[in-house]
Amino acid sequence: MLKPELVEAVLARALKGGADFAEVYAERAKKRRMKVRSGGLEEALSGLDYGAGVRLFFGTEVVYAYTNDLTQEGLMEALETLLRAKGALGKVDEGGKGGLDFRKAIPKGLHAPKVAYGEKDKRYRLERLLEAEAGARIAPAIKEVEASLLEWEEEVLVANTEGVWAEERRVRTRLFVLAVAQEGSEVQTGYSAPGKSVGLELFDLYPPKAVGEKAARQALTNLKARPAPAGTFPVVVGPGFGGVLFHEAVGHLLETTSVAKKASVLADRLGEVVASPAVTYIDDGTLPHAWGSTEVDDEGRPTERTVLIEGGVLKSYMVDRLGHLLTGYPMTGSGRRQDYTFAPTSRMRNTFIAPGEARVEDLFAGIEFGLYAKEMGGGQVKPGSGEYNFAVQEGYIIRKGRIEEPVRGAMLVGKGPETLMRVVAAAQDLENAPGMCGSLSGAVPVEVGQPHVLVSEIVVGGRA
Amino acid sequence: MTLEEAKRYLLWRAKELGLEAEVLFQEARELSLRAREGALEEIKEARQGGLGLRVVAEGKVGYAYTEELSPEALDWALEEAQENALLSAKEGALPPGKALGSHDLLGEGLSAPLERKKEAVLALEEALREDPRVKSVLMGGYLEREVRVALKSTQGAEGSFRTGFAALMGSFVMAQGKSVKQGWDFKAGKEFHALEPGRTALEFREKTARLLEAKPLRTGRYRAYLEPEAMAMLLSVLAKALSGKNALEGKSRLLGRLGERIASPLVTLVDDPTLEKGLLSRPFDAEGTPTARTVVVEKGVFKTFLHNLETAKALGQRNTGHAARSYRGTLEVAPTNLYLEPVGNLALTEGVVVTEFMGLHAGANPVTLDFSLQALGLWVEEGEVRHAVENFAVSGNLLELLQGVEAVGDDLDWLLLDAAYGSPTVAVAELSFAGA
Repeated sequence: MLKPELVEAVLARALKGGADFAEVYAERAKKRRMKVRSGGLEEALSGLDYGAGVRLFFGTEVVYAYTNDLTQEGLMEALETLLRAKGALGKVDEGGKGGLDFRKAIPKGLHAPKVAYGEKDKRYRLERLLEAEAGARIAPAIKEVEASLLEWEEEVLVANTEGVWAEERRVRTRLFVLAVAQEGSEVQTGYSAPGKSVGLELFDLYPPKAVGEKAARQALTNLKARPAPAGTFPVVVGPGFGGVLFHEAVGHLLETTSVAKKASVLADRLGEVVASPAVTYIDDGTLPHAWGSTEVDDEGRPTERTVLIEGGVLKSYMVDRLGHLLTGYPMTGSGRRQDYTFAPTSRMRNTFIAPGEARVEDLFAGIEFGLYAKEMGGGQVKPGSGEYNFAVQEGYIIRKGRIEEPVRGAMLVGKGPETLMRVVAAAQDLENAPGMCGSLSGAVPVEVGQPHVLVSEIVVGGRA
Repeated sequence: MTLEEAKRYLLWRAKELGLEAEVLFQEARELSLRAREGALEEIKEARQGGLGLRVVAEGKVGYAYTEELSPEALDWALEEAQENALLSAKEGALPPGKALGSHDLLGEGLSAPLERKKEAVLALEEALREDPRVKSVLMGGYLEREVRVALKSTQGAEGSFRTGFAALMGSFVMAQGKSVKQGWDFKAGKEFHALEPGRTALEFREKTARLLEAKPLRTGRYRAYLEPEAMAMLLSVLAKALSGKNALEGKSRLLGRLGERIASPLVTLVDDPTLEKGLLSRPFDAEGTPTARTVVVEKGVFKTFLHNLETAKALGQRNTGHAARSYRGTLEVAPTNLYLEPVGNLALTEGVVVTEFMGLHAGANPVTLDFSLQALGLWVEEGEVRHAVENFAVSGNLLELLQGVEAVGDDLDWLLLDAAYGSPTVAVAELSFAGA
């Protein structure tokens, strides 16, 4: 995308301008989106994102510029604007800055697609989407179905004044099905959206018909569900996307983005017990083909598996370069950004609760009255206070240890550190699921995951 | 190529290929400053631009965009758009175009020197720290954005406008005793000069300070006073149901309810892209329809969906000029400055003041309009705020909530989300609160 000489010139100019560290991030991403409804293609969009970001550190002060003009003039102009804004012009450091010797990391292709986009035409994709739509038409009450395909094919380059030169091609594919069920004036929705760092083999991993059917079944279940009860109950959270609970309740609190500024309730607590012994929480950027995996992070550092909490004890934070500078914690390959329009911050990759010893049925056994949150929607947290929430997309009442009638509209709310202490047990059936996580550096693909987990009490927002 | 050259090239190539084409081009400049502990911590300067293409081939519509302006990239975009159109099952057309003029909605709004802006953000951050209960300031921030949008089609549409905004932001943690709350606030206007860092910092602090030492809220049904920010968040969900496009696609519960009373008579909902200080005002929409004030709900009666050309035609209503599109997207329908009109009959008696909702993207369903949302608030008794309440969720259905509106304040505050949403404080007879 960019020639080493050009990158070197930009980085050298940045150092001359007084920066302690400089980094260039360039990106060219082909993106496609197709949407099917009512038996045909509704709309299709293809696009090319193309741009670069230049980041400079002056101590721990960060300046960042981005542009779509990736010529020498374009990048230099962006850089000069930055130096002017910083007021660093004239502060020329000529000493000891020889040529950069980039250490080029050869991509291993750990997450390379098996069925590349170029191998199939658009009609092939359209047919798979039509299968997904047809798969959702399982009952007359299903009134509306939308099936969409998202394709991202991204080339990324990161180079910095420490000699890092990392290039990676990242391919991600995701299928979405939304089903709307209606009976009389009652309307409910169901949703299924598998995605992986793969090519069109996604359709083999997740047959479209089954994905459609799953969304439709959820919509039909919600149609006959009663409003969820309101109050504080024991909750069994289902595997897979259920992991979003801990993503919100704990994950965000362990990013140096807030930890470094003491704006997380879990700052300065390494080595302390922060959760019940049933909780081992891991953030792994290396899982093959996972939605949140990459070979290198967006600062050009190899991703890794980071054990955050082990048996309830806080072991590590998620640390990006700036976080490392501010806190001294070693970097964990967690610097991520949505695209070139954002400077990276510390972010989660694929974050999950490790499997425990319990059998799934044991978790339900002792519950007199509670909620089974089988499938989850998204959630949100304020790291400074630890207050989090997340929505239950498919839920059931637990009565005397048995899963009974479906309920809808449940929102779980609480404070992360309290919820962590209330984890009673984790089962053995770990699963991960994809999602998009929004924070300071934009929306990035992540996986969340867990086995079935029992929490002794959570506030359930339903109808009082 | 420059954006101008790329635009000309695309329209010329489209004509050669026998396609109708519309090019939406957008150029943005952004400056963001963040201060912390008395020093600038981050400066961001950016330029971004790109071209969005909508083409009609054999009577069907296809989309593409590019930020790379090489001839290869432009040819790729055109080819993709054409292929996307030919695969489509839906008929479509470009509107007959006309000259739309060139408009400046920003003027000198952002023209202060950088030094003044740095001073403003430092002043804001310092003022945020002037309260012993503020334990940590994540940032005091300044953000400005200047955008130029231009539209040109083979059908003769041609026009452009320039707009933008300036905003102050604050993110901080406050504590008193064991009680900890985080504030995250944003205040935007059309002019840098109109921003008041000291006063805004005070507002930000007060908004969060009053939530400290909160008590649990007992589960129950209470009267709710939704503050402007909370109500504006709900309006952003309702807006999805007001979209003619969602109605056409079977995703709006308001389909078939035109002319009906869907809300209390105190509810009048207006979208006005012509508001002089409106953050999202614009002279024409994303397909070149001149904009006008639209009354969506009048004294509780549902008057019209928001439309673009296609949805208006399909639903047999007048086009309201709400076609929305970023160059990276497809043609949608969206509000600009959508607000609930102030009334002025509100007084606190008893119930819960909801200051803020959280988790909107997951907790409110834009199709069913059911919501169950984490909230922060204040307990009101005998006409007075007694203490803060926390750890609870509020749930219901938006249409039921609108029917239950029993008073509307005379204040009007704006929240900038995907559009600008404005609301006074609104009293709702009863909502369901889940807590302790």
